[in-house]
Amino acid sequence: MSTKEKLTFDVIVVGAGLAGSAAAAIAARNGLSVAMIERGQTPGSKNYFGGALYTHSLLEIYPDLWDRKPPLERPVTESGFWFLSKDGMVRATVQGGKMQNDPIDAYVALRAKFDAWWAEQAKKEGVFIIPKTVVVDFIREDEKVVGVITDRPDGEIYAPVVIICEGVNNLLTQKLGLAKHDLKAHASALAVKQLISMPAETINARFGLPSNEHGLAASVMGDVSMGLPGLGFLYTGVDSVSVGVGVTLEALTKAGIKPYELLQRYLNHPMIAPMIAGGRLMEYGAHIIPEGGWTTMPKLYTDGALVAGDAASMVNALHWEGTNMAIMAGKAAGETAVEAHQKRDFSAKSLSAYRARLDKTFVMTDLHQYRNLSHFLKSRPDFMNTYPAFLNDALGMFFSGFGKPKKQLYKDILRSLTDRRPLVKAAGDMIAFGRTIMGF
Amino acid sequence: MFHALVSIKQVPDTTNIRIDPETNNLIRQGVPTILNPYDAHAVAAAVEWKRKLNGKVTIITMGPPAAITSLRECIEMGADRAILISDRAFAGADTWATSYVLTEVIQAVHKEDPLDLIFFGKQAIDGDTAQVGPGVAVRLDLPVVTYAVKIHEVNTAEKFVVIERKTESRNEVIKAKLPAVMTCEKEIADIPYASLPDLVYSLRYEPEVWTTEGPITFDPAQLGLKGSPTTVFRTGTPEKHKAGEVLKTAETGVDVAVKTAFDKILEVEGVASMLGVQR
Repeated sequence: MSTKEKLTFDVIVVGAGLAGSAAAAIAARNGLSVAMIERGQTPGSKNYFGGALYTHSLLEIYPDLWDRKPPLERPVTESGFWFLSKDGMVRATVQGGKMQNDPIDAYVALRAKFDAWWAEQAKKEGVFIIPKTVVVDFIREDEKVVGVITDRPDGEIYAPVVIICEGVNNLLTQKLGLAKHDLKAHASALAVKQLISMPAETINARFGLPSNEHGLAASVMGDVSMGLPGLGFLYTGVDSVSVGVGVTLEALTKAGIKPYELLQRYLNHPMIAPMIAGGRLMEYGAHIIPEGGWTTMPKLYTDGALVAGDAASMVNALHWEGTNMAIMAGKAAGETAVEAHQKRDFSAKSLSAYRARLDKTFVMTDLHQYRNLSHFLKSRPDFMNTYPAFLNDALGMFFSGFGKPKKQLYKDILRSLTDRRPLVKAAGDMIAFGRTIMGF
Repeated sequence: MFHALVSIKQVPDTTNIRIDPETNNLIRQGVPTILNPYDAHAVAAAVEWKRKLNGKVTIITMGPPAAITSLRECIEMGADRAILISDRAFAGADTWATSYVLTEVIQAVHKEDPLDLIFFGKQAIDGDTAQVGPGVAVRLDLPVVTYAVKIHEVNTAEKFVVIERKTESRNEVIKAKLPAVMTCEKEIADIPYASLPDLVYSLRYEPEVWTTEGPITFDPAQLGLKGSPTTVFRTGTPEKHKAGEVLKTAETGVDVAVKTAFDKILEVEGVASMLGVQR
């Protein structure tokens, strides 16, 4: 049957996620032979997110995206924050205006469906996909990576460049010494979600969406995380709703709260429960998000290897960006592999062009700018409970203070803040928040 | 040389399947398809004996072009040749028409390269009829051993096979003349984990495609819907089994409990007349 010849490709991509299939497609499009190795039964079967994908990044790989009919759910035409108090909610969402950009900036998606399609597009570029196979180590010659070892018998595959897109559990990146440590509990969020199925008409009615061509993406703050550093979310699919919450592993451990308790509590919140009432639970899943960003980012290249996506901690927790960073990084890695083949130079020095490419994009500039965010949220828990609760009180008082002297009303509102947090400290919080997101 | 043929089917993964509560139809949309699990074990068994006897395994399937994925999976397990029998004319076939087509193909393969053993899974997890294997055996006029759990011996020189089969009450060990047909339980063999070169070979493997155009000819009257005497009137979800009544003998006494139980049994339609009991 098969001969025992050495399996050799120009490029090996480890992991058929958003970064992997992007990197593989770019390399194959430029004439390289590419093997993409995926541990799941099919690409996408092991991948999970909130979530929404960002159009700009998809177009970056496939300018003819729409002709290819991507399996996306609803476009995000309304987006924003929901602030939960114990029994109430303030919504600050935006719709119309820039949310109607052409094309719409974000689309809700389901990864099992989307990633299978995304890999299929790479296959059309000529990528050879090897599923059901786990890469366990590297083949090295003179300290240079020249291939990978898989868990199968006779499991070696050779290539002068290996692009590691292994996801958040970056064991291979650690094995190469690019990441100096295992996942950090304070910089890793555990997100749990339920996918709840409901008829499209019910979703439209409950979320005020005029048609299936409208969708909502909400970041939920306040009572959702029980005061721990974390956020909830809600995304509308065509006939499903994704509802979940993510909190850092460290906070969960310290508080002794089980993630599914947190999620159950969120789903039972008096403002949330009616939205999903009667829906059918289709999926229950969890995933770790490498929220450390810049602070936990490994070195991105070495002799014969590059790292992209979650494995490289490319996540902006505040803006829910990660998928687009993974795709942009995958593209840059693919381009760098092509260039290295042209120069026939696969040294770390040659592959450092990958980092240079990324430095010019929002990926690196944003991650640098937000480098203090996870520390900030951890050290200022008031953003997670005090302010969302105050916001609910303040607006609640403002809109229910009829027939009372308004001077007293404003005093009461102010007191509902100062009872929770002295004014000076609150002002300090705001300044610190501003400094953090501006990256000073 | 030992030559085995395995007939497989690609099926919707019923562990993921849902039923539309209103129409009672299977919701196939978005449900992944897989190699029928019993067939996978049949392939594993065929490959195991091919390796023992230094033989060859041929896989056949009748189905849509997408079934190539399942054929590749069989090649990955170590099969040597795969044939996809695919044509619009075959669509809508019941087990009768399916066994006709498979029989024709098996006979053609046998003519080229004589077969010793013909494997089927014990049933497909989507239709659960368990009819196609025995149906083919009858058409071929070959011995058939159903619910096989173990192959004790394959003797190609003296042309016999010893197979253990499972029944509800006991296991039977059966000696059958070769060529023979068998339908397999999962115990027949464990699914092997392919080497990387074998996996890569299978991913690149292009199965032969047989259609009504050739390489063999079929009787058009026996194909597809036209050749299918079975009509499905209605499908539905069976009623949920209700929890039975619990009687505590300490409270009711044994006599009352036994009498109540008997009365309940007699209420079941047909039981009273079968036992000749007047109610």
